[in-house]
Amino acid sequence: MSTPLLDVWEAAASSPYQPSISKDSQLTVGAVLLLIALLLAGVFGLNLKFINVPLLGVPASLAFGFGAVYMICAVGVYV
Amino acid sequence: MRSLPLFSSCLAALSSFACAELNLSQPLLSRQVLPGTFKPPQVFKNVNLVRNTNLDKSYPRETINVVIENIDTKPQSEYYLPFETSLISRVGGLEVRDKKDADSGFFKVEVVGLDAQSSTEFYLIHLPTPLAPKQQQTLSISYSVLSALAPVPAKIGQSEKQYVQYTFSAYTPSAYVSEKQKTKLKFPSGDVPDYTTLPADLNAEKKVDPQKQGSTFTYGPYNDVPAGADQDVSVRYEFTKPLTHASLLERDIEVSHWGGNLATEERYWLTNQGAELKNHFSRVEWQKTQYLNPPSSALKGLNLPLHPGAMDPYFTDDIGNVSTSRFRPGKKENLLELKPRYPVFGGWKYSFRVGWNADLSTYLRKLSKGDTYVLKVPFLEGPRLAEGIQYSKVHLRIILPEGATNVKYSTTVPLTDSKTSIHHTFMDTLGRSTLELHAINIMDEFRERDLIVTYDYSWTAGYRKPIVITLGMFAVFAATWVLGSIDTSIGKSKKA
Repeated sequence: MSTPLLDVWEAAASSPYQPSISKDSQLTVGAVLLLIALLLAGVFGLNLKFINVPLLGVPASLAFGFGAVYMICAVGVYV
Repeated sequence: MRSLPLFSSCLAALSSFACAELNLSQPLLSRQVLPGTFKPPQVFKNVNLVRNTNLDKSYPRETINVVIENIDTKPQSEYYLPFETSLISRVGGLEVRDKKDADSGFFKVEVVGLDAQSSTEFYLIHLPTPLAPKQQQTLSISYSVLSALAPVPAKIGQSEKQYVQYTFSAYTPSAYVSEKQKTKLKFPSGDVPDYTTLPADLNAEKKVDPQKQGSTFTYGPYNDVPAGADQDVSVRYEFTKPLTHASLLERDIEVSHWGGNLATEERYWLTNQGAELKNHFSRVEWQKTQYLNPPSSALKGLNLPLHPGAMDPYFTDDIGNVSTSRFRPGKKENLLELKPRYPVFGGWKYSFRVGWNADLSTYLRKLSKGDTYVLKVPFLEGPRLAEGIQYSKVHLRIILPEGATNVKYSTTVPLTDSKTSIHHTFMDTLGRSTLELHAINIMDEFRERDLIVTYDYSWTAGYRKPIVITLGMFAVFAATWVLGSIDTSIGKSKKA
């Protein structure tokens, strides 16, 4: 028996969803990104200058943001 | 005088309580309501009707194959199927198809309610193409009746055989005249100690009803049965198996794009509707028989066949983790074997939750155009028992990623209610779009029915979570710099 949505499912047979980071590497990626964030934050803490807010703060925040998401997934809370 | 406004405001507050008392214990069914004097127009007749009642499982499964003929002068497409009001609330999974064209799919069926005084309600079957006058069509109507078996005797010993009684009408309930009809009953075994015998003059072949053939009994054939005719008969047969009944099943399916994961959790509230124990439960007697593994009216274990790829299963109840479970991964299925903390005898209850993860790539596909995703999951998974399991209510939630819009779904399972809502959980800012589907009176036969959901999910919505954390962290850096730059030294500030 065919329904419109079943046809949609069949039509998309060639493109199963693949996450950008697979389940196996979530822990590594998350840990590396969080480590980078920690190092950059440490360097920022030693040089509290205005120029370092965008120069170190932005990459550190980005690394922390993505690293936190992957680390939370890696420990089993699939957000 | 001052007390008057106080009194009126108290009255208003009390009336708001009275208005808030809505009875939401029963799911809302969309249905027509007709006056109690309604009688279906006599535009059809049943030329030949054969009802097969299968009693192998813990709920009777009825299949009515009926040749209908239009005896009106105009084409007709509305066929009514009557049920008693007390019975219709326990009828589940009613499906109608053309017997000779099974691939054409199920016909549209709806419940037609009558006003409160009426003792009869109807299922209205819409034939996809109106039947021309004097034309015939063969319908195959199948349904199950939940909570239909009553244990007789109601109390038995721990190792005794269980007998159950099923009461039904020997004449298949119909809103139309039936020229010829019979009912075949298929029992799980030949052990049928009691059954109602009907006199031979009712039977078209002048034989005493029922006719027995091994574990199959036949009531009828009967000729020219008028519309609405009723002839109650009962059968009592051996059924030493649990009558497993789930008063509620809550099932959550959570989609995570970041984690590439599909998380499923099911929460069960089970009751064994079988015969209660005559005496106290004896652990010694129970343990003595366990090596022989005899048939028992108690529910000893549940096997959940999960799809291949299922991982990280858990089995908990109100106390905590239940360690009596096994997980056997295999090529065809990953079998999760659960053993409740105690054998669930008649009248006893057990509630628990199970859950597992799976790779999302098996269940989710992305359309080539746009940001539309299509998800295909089983509507019901749950235990596979030889004697079957019946569900009074099933609440299914599909928790989609935060920011999913334009949610559509399709399933062949008959639903009573559906809505989309917002579910708040870890790391959400706005909450996740959730599709809630409610069904009543479902049996384990619906296990592999699929549910297909499509939704739009843009990449900007996908980056919401890391961006929110990033902004939060950046605010911490900025605040650190601001606080670090405050000159807290005593005396004149140094100028560079």
